[in-house]
Amino acid sequence: MLSVTDLDAYYGQFHVLHKMSCTVNEGEVVVLLGPNGHGKSTLLKSICGLVPRVNGAIHYKGMEISKMPAEKLVNKGVIYIAENRELFGDMTVLENLKLGAYSRNARKAEKKNLADVFSLFPRLAERKKQLAATMSGGEARMLAIARGLMSNADFLCIDEPSLGLQPNLRVEVFNIIKEINRQGKSILLVEQNIPQIADLADRIYVLEEGRITFEGDAETAIRDDHLKEIFLGM
Amino acid sequence: MLEYFDVFISGLTNGSVYALMAVGLTLVYGVSRAFNFAYGSFFSLGGYIAWVFMMFLGLRGGYIMVFILSIPLLMGFGYFTEKLIVAPLRKRSDWEVKVMMITLGLALFMDNGYQVIFGPRMKSLPPMMEGAMAVGDTFIANQDIMIFVLSITGILAFRWVLNNTRIGMAVRAVAQNPAGAQIVGIPKDRIFAATFGISTVMVGAGGILLAQKYFVSPMGGWDILVKSWVITAFGGMGSIRGGLYAAFILGMLEAFVGYWFGLNWVLFALFGVLLTTLAIRPQGLMGKWG
Repeated sequence: MLSVTDLDAYYGQFHVLHKMSCTVNEGEVVVLLGPNGHGKSTLLKSICGLVPRVNGAIHYKGMEISKMPAEKLVNKGVIYIAENRELFGDMTVLENLKLGAYSRNARKAEKKNLADVFSLFPRLAERKKQLAATMSGGEARMLAIARGLMSNADFLCIDEPSLGLQPNLRVEVFNIIKEINRQGKSILLVEQNIPQIADLADRIYVLEEGRITFEGDAETAIRDDHLKEIFLGM
Repeated sequence: MLEYFDVFISGLTNGSVYALMAVGLTLVYGVSRAFNFAYGSFFSLGGYIAWVFMMFLGLRGGYIMVFILSIPLLMGFGYFTEKLIVAPLRKRSDWEVKVMMITLGLALFMDNGYQVIFGPRMKSLPPMMEGAMAVGDTFIANQDIMIFVLSITGILAFRWVLNNTRIGMAVRAVAQNPAGAQIVGIPKDRIFAATFGISTVMVGAGGILLAQKYFVSPMGGWDILVKSWVITAFGGMGSIRGGLYAAFILGMLEAFVGYWFGLNWVLFALFGVLLTTLAIRPQGLMGKWG
């Protein structure tokens, strides 16, 4: 579904990704692990057309998309769900969701997606009229994911959805991601929480200093000594 | 007592047009953080367009036709001005300062262009409506009523679009969080140009409305530029509600200061109020920090 080949990306003056390649197959959840500041978010943003300077090839459903701006990509079914949420604080939950369905592709399915989103996140339905800025961290995270789903995307790039959440909310977020995947969406996920990832990820990549240093399934990843060293300090 | 009523009406009429124009200026700042120093010249543009249609071409249909024809013209002019001279700067460092410089340059270019094309003499336009309405022992000119009604209608229409349409929602989204807007697929650059176009319509319409009272002249926009900025800074940068209050307060202030002390003191008083406000409340009446 998605293949990234020899991608170089820059964050301002910094050369962040170095000729890196990865793939996501249809229906998969692929997790990107790696220390902070090594290019995981930049990869997601590059795929979603949010990084101005990229070299290399990104193919999505057979189309070359590396030079496409975000507004076109959203219309083709690729959406970025930001780590810092990027909600519209002075607007209500409902307005945020409606803006999630701004692209032409999403408009047709707006009603259906809104119903789906509300059944997935009943708490958002109760808080339709609340301003996004007044929500708790966990609710705001849910809203960010829900807004992403409103875009009618088939391919979601989710950036550290569990960041800053307490353990029970983390479990809830991971369950929801699992459910979204079960409904047929392909997902590329950036995460740090190894234990929860194990039963979520179909495959794992590890990104260090802008290069892929490990690729394999979750089982292998957990047994890998080098990864233990990086993430668990063992 | 009766003369105070006239002064009050004058303050209210001018205040309503200032409100329309200040909302346009604050909109562009609020959405795209661009300072438009050619705003006064866009005001004159409205006046000149109306003059060309009514006096030069002798168009029939009065002000209704003038508005129908000039709104798309102004919209297009603003849209393409943004695309041609503001948007290319946005990719560079320190673009805010560069935008100020280039719009200032545009203002000088336009004003001198008016002088070359239309000559230095003032142009006058016929009143929108003759006659006056009796109110108790005094009269209100129908022209003033029309100016007030049209300005307020313009502001309400704008508010409605902002709150109830898809494009309005997109404009608010870009103003609140440009990064978030880009993520959901809102074409940010087109929204920037569109808001510039809408603001040009608002100030150009202000120019048409005030031309019948104060004439059109090549340099006539500078006064409006200064007042619009004072109102925007006084009301709070980027705050539409603040701009509305500020416009009426300053419209009244202008009318009463002009009546009591003479027109020479008007700008003095406006800046006095602005400086005092900013000393106590640097973010303006309703502005937010940052």
